[in-house]
Amino acid sequence: MKGYKRIISMALAFSLALYGVGCEKNSDSGNSDVVSGNITDKIFSGDLERNVRINILENDTAIEKGYLAELIAAFNEEYKDYGIVAVDANMDQYLDLANDGPYGYGPDVLYQANDMLMKYVEGKHIYPLPVQRLDCYQQIPQSAWDAYKSEMDGSEYICGVPVNVQAPMLYYRKDLLPENWETNWDDDKNGIPDMVENFNDMYRYSNELKLSGKQGFMFSIYEVYFSAGFLFSYGGYVFGDNNKDSQDIGFNNGEAYKGARLLKKLAGIMNEETIDDTITRNAYGKLGDGSYFAVISTPDNYTTFIDEMKLNYQKQGLSEDEAKAKAEENLVITSIPLLPEDGDITNDNSKMVEYKAMGGINGYAISAYTKAPNAALAFVDFATSYEMVKLRSDFLGIAAAREDVAKETGGLSEMLYTKLSNGYIDIMPSIRAVSQIWTPCQTFLSDLAKDAFRPEDEQKFLTDDDFKKGLETVNKQIYDAIYTLNSSESKG
Amino acid sequence: MSKKRSFSKYIDSIITHLILIIVSIFFLFPCLWLVLASFSKSGSIYSYDGFFPKEFSLNSFKTLFTDVGLYNYPEWFKNTLLISVFTCLLSTFLVIATAYAMSRFKFKARKPIMKTTLILGMFPSFMGMIAVYLLMTQFNLINSHWGLILIYSAGAPMGYLTQKGFFDTISISIDEAAKIDGATNFQIFLKINLPLSKPIIVYTALTSFTWPWSDFILPKLLLKEKDLYTVAVGLMNLGETEFSRFAAGSVFIAVPIVILYFFLTKFMVNGMMAGAVKG
Amino acid sequence: MASLRVNKLSKQAISSCFLMGLGQLLHKQYIKGFLYLAIEVGAIYFFVQYGFDNIRNFITLGTQKADPWLGVKGDNSIIMLIMGIFTLLAILFFFVIYIGNIKDAQKTSDRVSRGLEPLLFEDEIKEFLDEKFYKTVLFLPIVGVCVFNIIPIIFMIFIAFTNYGDSIVPPELVDWVGFDNFKKLLSLSEFSSSFLKILVWNVIWAVLSTFINYFAGLGLALLYNKECVKPKALWKAFPILAYAIPGFITLLAFKFMFSYGGPINQLIVNAGNSPIGFLDIDAKWMARLIGLVVNMWISTPTIMLLASGILSNIDKSYYEAAIIDGASKFKQFTKITLPFVLFSTLPVLISQFVGNFNNFGIFYFLRGGLYMDGYFLASDTDLLINWLYNLSIDNNYYSIGAAISLVIFTITSIISLIVYVKSPSYKQEDTYK
Repeated sequence: MKGYKRIISMALAFSLALYGVGCEKNSDSGNSDVVSGNITDKIFSGDLERNVRINILENDTAIEKGYLAELIAAFNEEYKDYGIVAVDANMDQYLDLANDGPYGYGPDVLYQANDMLMKYVEGKHIYPLPVQRLDCYQQIPQSAWDAYKSEMDGSEYICGVPVNVQAPMLYYRKDLLPENWETNWDDDKNGIPDMVENFNDMYRYSNELKLSGKQGFMFSIYEVYFSAGFLFSYGGYVFGDNNKDSQDIGFNNGEAYKGARLLKKLAGIMNEETIDDTITRNAYGKLGDGSYFAVISTPDNYTTFIDEMKLNYQKQGLSEDEAKAKAEENLVITSIPLLPEDGDITNDNSKMVEYKAMGGINGYAISAYTKAPNAALAFVDFATSYEMVKLRSDFLGIAAAREDVAKETGGLSEMLYTKLSNGYIDIMPSIRAVSQIWTPCQTFLSDLAKDAFRPEDEQKFLTDDDFKKGLETVNKQIYDAIYTLNSSESKG
Repeated sequence: MSKKRSFSKYIDSIITHLILIIVSIFFLFPCLWLVLASFSKSGSIYSYDGFFPKEFSLNSFKTLFTDVGLYNYPEWFKNTLLISVFTCLLSTFLVIATAYAMSRFKFKARKPIMKTTLILGMFPSFMGMIAVYLLMTQFNLINSHWGLILIYSAGAPMGYLTQKGFFDTISISIDEAAKIDGATNFQIFLKINLPLSKPIIVYTALTSFTWPWSDFILPKLLLKEKDLYTVAVGLMNLGETEFSRFAAGSVFIAVPIVILYFFLTKFMVNGMMAGAVKG
Repeated sequence: MASLRVNKLSKQAISSCFLMGLGQLLHKQYIKGFLYLAIEVGAIYFFVQYGFDNIRNFITLGTQKADPWLGVKGDNSIIMLIMGIFTLLAILFFFVIYIGNIKDAQKTSDRVSRGLEPLLFEDEIKEFLDEKFYKTVLFLPIVGVCVFNIIPIIFMIFIAFTNYGDSIVPPELVDWVGFDNFKKLLSLSEFSSSFLKILVWNVIWAVLSTFINYFAGLGLALLYNKECVKPKALWKAFPILAYAIPGFITLLAFKFMFSYGGPINQLIVNAGNSPIGFLDIDAKWMARLIGLVVNMWISTPTIMLLASGILSNIDKSYYEAAIIDGASKFKQFTKITLPFVLFSTLPVLISQFVGNFNNFGIFYFLRGGLYMDGYFLASDTDLLINWLYNLSIDNNYYSIGAAISLVIFTITSIISLIVYVKSPSYKQEDTYK
């Protein structure tokens, strides 16, 4: 018994020592939350497995545009002495690791959005990662790492590696600006057209365009991902306590109703196609042929927009290269315009505030069912290195989460990176309950958009209270969807 | 007298054909739209002029079969063809046999089986999907086409009621005559009833052949690798900007089914009953 | 038929109770005896190797929780549940064979007591092609149905009594919770009003759509059957073409056709009117109507095909006799054709009713993803099965979903069983034989 006690106390001391060492290392990288080194070190011993095959599940665009092929070729070349071969998993990019992994049918490394990946943590289907060991650790801002942080068994773990930031952006056609915009549409003379700078001027310009039979600013209000930002900018949020408390649902928080009111106003400059997802789908074609002046979309669709514009220019007689060059020149992607602080889009003298977007961080995670965790980690490290992330940016036009790549690429990348670090992007919650927010929000937004087209006596949303009530219903429906049948959580 | 009759027959024929044309348009119209869409140059559905694409090209068909990097349509087509041929053969055999046995024989377990199968068929199927998936993992039949064939064929006899209804209308007097001549039940089944039931065999063969082409729930559950997909799952995966390819793929699915239909249609007519029992 | 009254059992039959095949061996039926013996040995082996464990696991549903991070293998509760069911069924199968073995020994004893020889093995085989032909024919289907249809259903029924779902999925351990799920269903007040509203619409939908599809299909079959229609195969090809294109594709196509940016609205807008929201949030009755029409488009061809086949099977002599008696065409239709077709297809009608009742796809694809006011997580066109999907699969509440399925199933099966048992197709099966 005595010998036993000695061993236990030695083990305790040893692990405390490790903990202390871990603490030391972490504090100089500015990370105040300690990540327990024990489990991750046990899993990722550092000994590379030999002669193994690892399956990589990437998203379809990366495969389509050839990025994955390049990444895999480069990695295989680098690690050929170990006999490690990475291959395309050849599976559905939205597969459910919780269902397939335990039975051996999942990938080893997977790339998805943070909310999709983090829902696997509760069931321990993805490994916690020793992220300090990775090359990219210092380059990625804390808010991005936070998106992949989770608390399990009393300790905090990081279970994914951020690669790029996704947030809604404004796409517009430079060649569809009015001829005289520099004199008429640039009040502060800063070289940026006012209508892409703030929503009040965008509203005015769209109305003018509408009178002449065209469309100005168009987007599907139905899309929660885009419309939520309007609510967030006025105080709304998804879940409380930094998106961790699903009992506190915040779509009606603060003055979010002003955002809803503004959305209904925006519907007025569009047409009925904003009520469902029609505009999201036809945006590429219509921006391409000039029917729309500006739309909202995500950075990863940049190449699709260019393709459609290219087709149109080619129809006008340009060669393929000329068309591509012209498209790249005339298609501008920039941040979403500023919003009026008082929520009144028709007030010329409004003070402007920034649009707070609903965004996501896409990244890599390692399946807990992999037979080669060290090889998988090596792959993730390789794929998140400067060269590979820069390559990804070149191929796919993404906004990198690595500071060095973002600053190097400049433009959009840098813009999004800055927004992220300054808190103007509200990252999607990583808890499982997030899957319940979509349908209630879609129903409300659809109703809101439709209201703009109903005859006056049938309209539902007229006073501020109406909007507040609508948002409160959204909160309640989400709460019900999460808690009513949930046996493990208690009703507040 | 005959002039009047032939005149009313004539009117009857015109009205009939008018209705036929309306019916045919009703069924053809969405298919036609899909066909037109498959010939559209642009991938996006929204660049159409009402129902008609603005520009036409054979591009979608070409890319459907050549651009196999992400969307390996030829492979999916082959997979589905394989699965549906075997399912058709196996299912038809099992269902016809079951329906015949239930119709022709009287045994104690019969009525209970009839009631049980009726009830069992009413369970919402997708809850059972979890169980099917788990069973398949235990049998190691995930990512295997034979797993699908097995499930489709094994479950087919549950639908025997339709075929039994047909067998119930075949008179047993021929059977009895044959029995007197010394034939076994097996011989009666093979030589007498089977030839008589060509229409229902055709129906069963056609429906069991068609089902794997349109079912995407089961293949999505059991097939994990994209190269193993069937056409239904594969098309579901196609992005939205690829609508003309989606349409082309869908139209192509109809091809084997319609071919099979024309091939089997001559068996549909069954005019033998008259006179078989008389005398 | 061998009687199994214990006091009348022959000694061979009794010996078969103790060791399968012994009775047959005593009758000198060596092959059959050894076959039965082999089955018993195999069963014992299976039980010892796997059976005990499976049953024990079934009861506990696992005791060791797996931890992928620490490499702990652990128990998979759900696999245990299903293997337990599998084992129980295997035991049942074995039991049936066991009883069969005793009955068989008794039957042979009866033969011997009447002075006949016990049957030779070759004769027994021949029996399977004659009197016992139905057994031969039904064996494979029954096994197949048991494994792939019955086990999943039993599995689902058992799930309704566990807490599987949401966060309690493997590697978490699942537990039996008795009637908790049902209590939960009954106690939630928001549930009952939604449930009733959806149930009412579901029944109306099932009745209407079945009715419309059936008579449309029948009508088409009759139309094509007319003398003046030639070539029949060509005209029939149109509905077949509609049938050949997979259902979900046509549903998506229809959804797009009726959407705001779709062709129909484009034509409307071009004509100068404002677009119509056929399937949007306000369109309760319009959407329901579109559902009925689209469903008719999809389902009628199969019914037409079936009815055509049945029609061709009507004994022409009935018609000949009717013409001799001077009956009009209309009378021939109502007195001969209609009853015949109805008789033959009534079971189909019932299965069509059930199929339409549980038609998940139609409103999922046409109008999925809307939660209306006054409904708990459902829209006004959702059927019970769509609601079930919203509640359970979408949100992963498997056990609640299973409980609701059980409730739905009870309702539909009671209705169908009553109708079926009272129908002539069941009571007077021999009308046309």
